[in-house]
Amino acid sequence: MKMENMLFSGPDPTKLEGLVHDIYSELVDDACLGLCFEVHRAVKQGYFFLDETDQESMKEFEIVDQPGVDIFGQVYNQWKNKECECPNCKRLIAASRFAPHLEKCLGMGRNSSRIANRRLATNNNVSKSESDQEDNDDLNDNDWSYGAEKKAKKRKSDKNQNSPRRSKSLKHKNGELGSNITSEPYKFSSQYNYNPGVNYETLGPDEVRSLLTTQCGVISEHTKKMCTRPPFPDAGATTVENDSFDIPDTQTLMHRLQWEDSPDISPADSASSKASTNHSDSRKPKKKKPTSGLSSGGVGSLTGGSSSSSSSSSQINVSLANKKKRPKLSAPLIPTIYNELN
Amino acid sequence: MSPAGCSHVNGYKVDNWKQNLRVIYQCFVWSGTAETRRRKAKSCVCHMCGAHLNRLHSCLYCVFFGCFTKKHIHEHAKNKRHNLAIDLLYGGIYCFVCQDYIYDKDMEQIAKEEQRKAWKLQGIALSLSAVSACVCFVFTGIGEKYTTWEPTKRELELLRHNPKRRKITTNCTIGLRGLINLGNTCFMNCIVQALTHTPLLRDFFLSDRHKCEMQSNSCLVCEMSQLFQEFYSGHRSPHIPFRLLHLVWTHARHLAGYEQQDAHEFLIAALDVLHRHCKGDTINDNGKKANNPNHCNCIIDQIFTGGLQSDVTCQVCHGVSTTIDPFWDISLDLPGSSTPFWPLSPGGDGSTVNGESHLSGSTTLTDCLRRFTRPEHLGSSAKIKCGGCHSYQESTKQLTMKKLPIVACFHLKRFEHSAKLRRKITTYVSFPLELDMTPFMASSKESRMNGQYQQSVDVLNNDNKYSLFAVVNHQGTLESGHYTSFIRQHKDQWFKCDDAIITKASIKDVLDSEGYLLFYHKQFLEYE
Repeated sequence: MKMENMLFSGPDPTKLEGLVHDIYSELVDDACLGLCFEVHRAVKQGYFFLDETDQESMKEFEIVDQPGVDIFGQVYNQWKNKECECPNCKRLIAASRFAPHLEKCLGMGRNSSRIANRRLATNNNVSKSESDQEDNDDLNDNDWSYGAEKKAKKRKSDKNQNSPRRSKSLKHKNGELGSNITSEPYKFSSQYNYNPGVNYETLGPDEVRSLLTTQCGVISEHTKKMCTRPPFPDAGATTVENDSFDIPDTQTLMHRLQWEDSPDISPADSASSKASTNHSDSRKPKKKKPTSGLSSGGVGSLTGGSSSSSSSSSQINVSLANKKKRPKLSAPLIPTIYNELN
Repeated sequence: MSPAGCSHVNGYKVDNWKQNLRVIYQCFVWSGTAETRRRKAKSCVCHMCGAHLNRLHSCLYCVFFGCFTKKHIHEHAKNKRHNLAIDLLYGGIYCFVCQDYIYDKDMEQIAKEEQRKAWKLQGIALSLSAVSACVCFVFTGIGEKYTTWEPTKRELELLRHNPKRRKITTNCTIGLRGLINLGNTCFMNCIVQALTHTPLLRDFFLSDRHKCEMQSNSCLVCEMSQLFQEFYSGHRSPHIPFRLLHLVWTHARHLAGYEQQDAHEFLIAALDVLHRHCKGDTINDNGKKANNPNHCNCIIDQIFTGGLQSDVTCQVCHGVSTTIDPFWDISLDLPGSSTPFWPLSPGGDGSTVNGESHLSGSTTLTDCLRRFTRPEHLGSSAKIKCGGCHSYQESTKQLTMKKLPIVACFHLKRFEHSAKLRRKITTYVSFPLELDMTPFMASSKESRMNGQYQQSVDVLNNDNKYSLFAVVNHQGTLESGHYTSFIRQHKDQWFKCDDAIITKASIKDVLDSEGYLLFYHKQFLEYE
């Protein structure tokens, strides 16, 4: 190139520098000219003013940087009453309780299948006393939104005033509850019949096996209801959850977990996680281990979710509430049914 | 005639004017090939003073070049009554009667077409800087330049009648929004904050690039798009991501359930579902859909996918077997009590790379990366069959980066599972604001092996430079805790996102934090 030739034939540094400077300033000039043309065109075409914004809007969206308020100038923790509509059951649920509600709603939680089945079983039984109990249970159910709780409490007071209405409102309410629950997706507990008394003759062997591994399964002679008590005495809660997650319809589970198994390369096959040597296990779909309530098992993970200590206590509440509920169903042993099945 | 045009062009628009104009643009303004460029350089001189520069213009009526600054073209116009000239640098058309540059619709149309043609000829590699300008370069394909949006007449009218505007300046809250915790979902909130502040992803969704092909309402990419709309809506109240939660639980069953989860697992699952749902957006160079699952071109893969090279060297014959695997994140070991962290790779520079503050004894991100890319002796129990020796031999394995992703996510493995204990590793790891990945590239390793031990940091090579834009932190124990994140919204402006509460944070807060997931974005983007 010309420049290099000049270098080799008696370099004149000042001349070289002068040239460099010239080229550089020309480049800068050209760039500035380009900008001028852009602005000129914008003005002439009439869209130059679009870049401006009004003072009011600027102030409205200005970032606030003061202690005690967030960037919008709002005080912390005023969002306790936010609600959202569950995509599944269409009920209005308090936002901070949405996750546990959704878990139960989709039938994924450790107790949800048990509760669901009880509800199905009692739904078609007309006895008043039981529906009373049912109401009380559901009122205590933590995932109802605040609004609904208020409504329920109000109904209770109405009840007392006018006794002939009593049975009517209760029945109506029961009906609502029933309809809410039979609607859908207990996809994962689909092996449970919608018959009130579970009829072992109509269930297939697989269904019966899955049923009996998760619940006691004994059918009361008197009420014809099936005992839904989990099979093992204590660590019961967690093993139930373990199995109820695995057993229903392994086909759908496999399909849903296909991103783990598919030959297509996907973020799940991230090579760096596999390549690391510190891992004792490889990354498999997390199964819930039988540990105490708060942990979520899983190898190589940091669990975090609570926004405050309230969530941990609420989990404990749930398990306590369940313990209360269990003794209500009577379940006399009927060995004959077991013998038949075995 | 557009309002910015003039009536004097009518005299020009006769006979074969379009073709003439095209020739002028092709030869003297937009040089597509090296040949035309040479011709332009040689022939475009002022006919009066011989200067190359000085805002050279060409007369539109005849073959005359004259410089603008010295008014030579003005003289020509006056003498010959040729009222139109074209600026050879930017193609603007000057009318000597109006004494101003004019913008005629038809002529501009021709100019644009010729410009596009020239760019296409100019070819493939065009470097560009500044992350925000990269939007349409990455998506519209090779050779098409990003053109600014221009309002039509009707739109201009509407805009004039409605002067209230929202502009995203550096001191603006638009783009930031809190997220309600739905019950142990802080891990999801942090990942959502990180993703919504990934510049490329933001640009993709805000320019409405997702074409949904899923029948039902369960497309996660659509929900993501909706999320961006929520973030940029200007609402102040925190957003409730309940639909997102529902969709994630539906598509990633292993994450479903009300319990505390790991943010990194959520990230991988979310990226995976987004990748699967992006099928409608994958377009090849030819415009056909990419059906090849091994070479997906969706936005997720474009942004997050990198290539990890694994070299296994046989100790006997020194033959190297190389494989390249894709990765979406980089999981790094930390110094824990059970696993030996040191020694580092031989020949690695011990000086402070990347300008990290190397307090005595504190681990840096670069240390972790060095460990990640060190040659590892596989031991006698793991002999590999060597293709060269045709027998089982001991070997060493080394990982290096073959291809870097646009967004690199570093996952610090802050947990320890040995026979005796399971605990969280809370060692402070210092990470830099700007990271240079050059020492960990496969190409660097090659040059090291060829004997060039002293690797001077090439200041001008910008390919491997990254900037930090999001940090996800975990407080608590292995079993239970709380996630918060720091995200960068504007250059050097950081915010702390604690579920529904967004507050301003200083860079010091960010760099002093523990760090669990670190998100880095490439500083300069290039075409493939």
